[in-house]
Amino acid sequence: MAKILGIDLGTTNSAMAVVEVGQPRILENKEGMRTTPSVVAMGKNGERYVGVTAKRQAVTNPANTIYSMKRLIGRRFSDAEVQKDKKLLPYELRAGAHDDVEIKMGDKWLKPAEVSAMVLQKLKADAEDRLGEKITDVIITVPAYFDDSQRKATKDAGEIAGLNVKRVINEPTAAALAYGLNKKKDEKIVVYDFGGGTFDVSVLEIGDDTIEVRGTGGDTHLGGDDIDQKIISYFIEEYKKEHGVDISKDQLAVQRLKDAAEKAKHELSSTMQTEVSIPFISADASGAKHFSVIFTRAKLEELVKDLVDKSIQLTKKTLDESGFKIGDINEVIMVGGQTRMPLIVQEVKNLFGKDPHKDINPDEVVALGAAVQGGIMQGEIRDVLLLDVTPLSLGIETLGQVFTKMIDKNTTVPVSKSQIFSTAADNQPSVEIHVLQGERAMAHDNKTLGRFILDGIPPAPRGIPQVEVSFDIDANGILNVKAKDKATGKEQSVKIEGSSGLTEDEKKRMMADAEKHAVEDAKKKELVEARNLGETLAYTSEKMVKKNDAKIKEEDKKELNEKAEAVKTILKSENIEEIKKATEELSKVAQRIGGELYKSGQAEPQPTPPNPENEIPKEDPKD
Amino acid sequence: MDKDEIKNEIVAEETPVETADKAEEYLNNWKRERADFINYKKDESRRMEEFARFANEDLVLEMMELVDDLEIVAKEVPGVGLEHVSKKFSELFKKYGVERINMEGQFNPALHEAVETEKEGTKMVEVRAGYTMHGKVIRPARVKLTK
Repeated sequence: MAKILGIDLGTTNSAMAVVEVGQPRILENKEGMRTTPSVVAMGKNGERYVGVTAKRQAVTNPANTIYSMKRLIGRRFSDAEVQKDKKLLPYELRAGAHDDVEIKMGDKWLKPAEVSAMVLQKLKADAEDRLGEKITDVIITVPAYFDDSQRKATKDAGEIAGLNVKRVINEPTAAALAYGLNKKKDEKIVVYDFGGGTFDVSVLEIGDDTIEVRGTGGDTHLGGDDIDQKIISYFIEEYKKEHGVDISKDQLAVQRLKDAAEKAKHELSSTMQTEVSIPFISADASGAKHFSVIFTRAKLEELVKDLVDKSIQLTKKTLDESGFKIGDINEVIMVGGQTRMPLIVQEVKNLFGKDPHKDINPDEVVALGAAVQGGIMQGEIRDVLLLDVTPLSLGIETLGQVFTKMIDKNTTVPVSKSQIFSTAADNQPSVEIHVLQGERAMAHDNKTLGRFILDGIPPAPRGIPQVEVSFDIDANGILNVKAKDKATGKEQSVKIEGSSGLTEDEKKRMMADAEKHAVEDAKKKELVEARNLGETLAYTSEKMVKKNDAKIKEEDKKELNEKAEAVKTILKSENIEEIKKATEELSKVAQRIGGELYKSGQAEPQPTPPNPENEIPKEDPKD
Repeated sequence: MDKDEIKNEIVAEETPVETADKAEEYLNNWKRERADFINYKKDESRRMEEFARFANEDLVLEMMELVDDLEIVAKEVPGVGLEHVSKKFSELFKKYGVERINMEGQFNPALHEAVETEKEGTKMVEVRAGYTMHGKVIRPARVKLTK
């Protein structure tokens, strides 16, 4: 089935996404970028540029570089908004036959929908290139305040581009879909969308299977660009203060300040201060001048406070008009790159008294939501196939009461995992499989789900028998644990129904416990591991002496046995460092003697030393 | 659960035709899911390759800003050996597939970004170097178009 492309056709930038394996994913354009500037241009020789290339040539060709067509699409020429924008736009506009807007590009007069279609065409082509398949069906998003004529024109744009527009959906609705909030019946949601050039706020209400827009508001000329402009003006002012020179007329200097402003703004989202330093920004008779300033988050916030306050006022106003109160709002979603600014997050949080959703990239959330809408329509996102995950890790107990995980928490079921374990003692006739659930490092801190014994293991030195333990959770959450002796084929198993037979509270408590005890647990585990290692080494060393009794010098034997005894004695202590030290010393001696044996070619082939982590004791030492 | 038990339950509640339809539907969904997954794995491995190739991109881009400054200083204060340092950087970049964008030929917005233009200007003057990484433009060359 061909995919449905979700398109966020933005005022300054557009983005596109598809659903793959039930998850929406942003598609990069041909230039390898996740967003595409909504800019189209006609070159001098009639060549057409769309996206970033159009933007890059804009200063060479301002009259034929069309941007912000979203401000014009589906509007009447006499519309106050259009008349206002006309003054700001460098390209020519005129009234069409039906009081619609026409834009001059090259020697042609085009409708805004025709220009938008060029952006859509590029997105379509780039998506087809990425996916290696043809795209015809799309979902396009529009602002919630768009009227029928604007929606119709947007749909026309899609059709001009050769697309089948399955649906035109609201941007805030798409954002709510991306967060999966469509499932939260009766909830009221505020979407705060601070983009590059526009600020939109919407109030949504989730119905049975609809998302209804209850209110819209905002400012079509308030955005991140205004914030950048404030920073640039501040830099120019600072420079003037220091050097007494106005560099606002020097285009190249301003360009460098603009780059620095954007970079500083981004940095101050994660740090408290940054140093802006631009060498040789200008020169005069007295020599070269540099620009250098320590720019703090506090200063940035002071500069843009009025813009942010304005957005908060508009949010309050929109909420009032929608007839809801602050307390009615269940969720708040952040959209638009500017919402990465900590001040904005804080102000929105202060207003609603709750943390807004901001986990999904705010530049991409609308396109992702459009793709989700496509996925729902196509049945790609199938509710029946919502798969469970294991809430806690599952595993068994191994030597030293260590909890060895077999299936990590948050693994999607159905799933099966298996691992080979061995015995912890010579001639151990059976292993006990102690099935546990939890996040703690030591077995006894976790919850026992069941236990069983696999016996009849033929006599063999420790570490030699191979016992395959497999965990299988089926789609109903039933856990089946099986242990099989590879040598005899003998097996035992236990079935545990409702392996997550834990209440939400229990789950939470267990996870919190694991976090609280993480450090001490790690220490305990390290101690057990050090002990296991020491014990294993003492065992293999003694075995080496026994096997090669006649070939090892008496003094070596004595030294080795002494060191091995020392290890065994120290194992009882709690001191990890001492255990490690004694083990290390024994290891050195054992290696030297072992090496000598090999050199003289007299050593008997040794089994590879067993891995203590994979050893299962005969009985649970706790019992 | 016993397999026979499941069968018995279904037989009791639905006609065999419906059961066959259901089985067909489940099988189809399952096949689709498998196919999706296999395709996804293929895509994912391609993306991982791409990701690895461009893993250094952010670091390279940040380093470029230092190289920009270095070049400006080298030009303003010649003769103290800064050109050599800047040359070393270019060589380092080359090693990682990063090449400076050529300034010859016509203005091409796929490679160049115009920041200033004189009327009828067509000659490019590099204002800030541009770079490609494994052929992809990671930063266009900023140019001034003069007569």
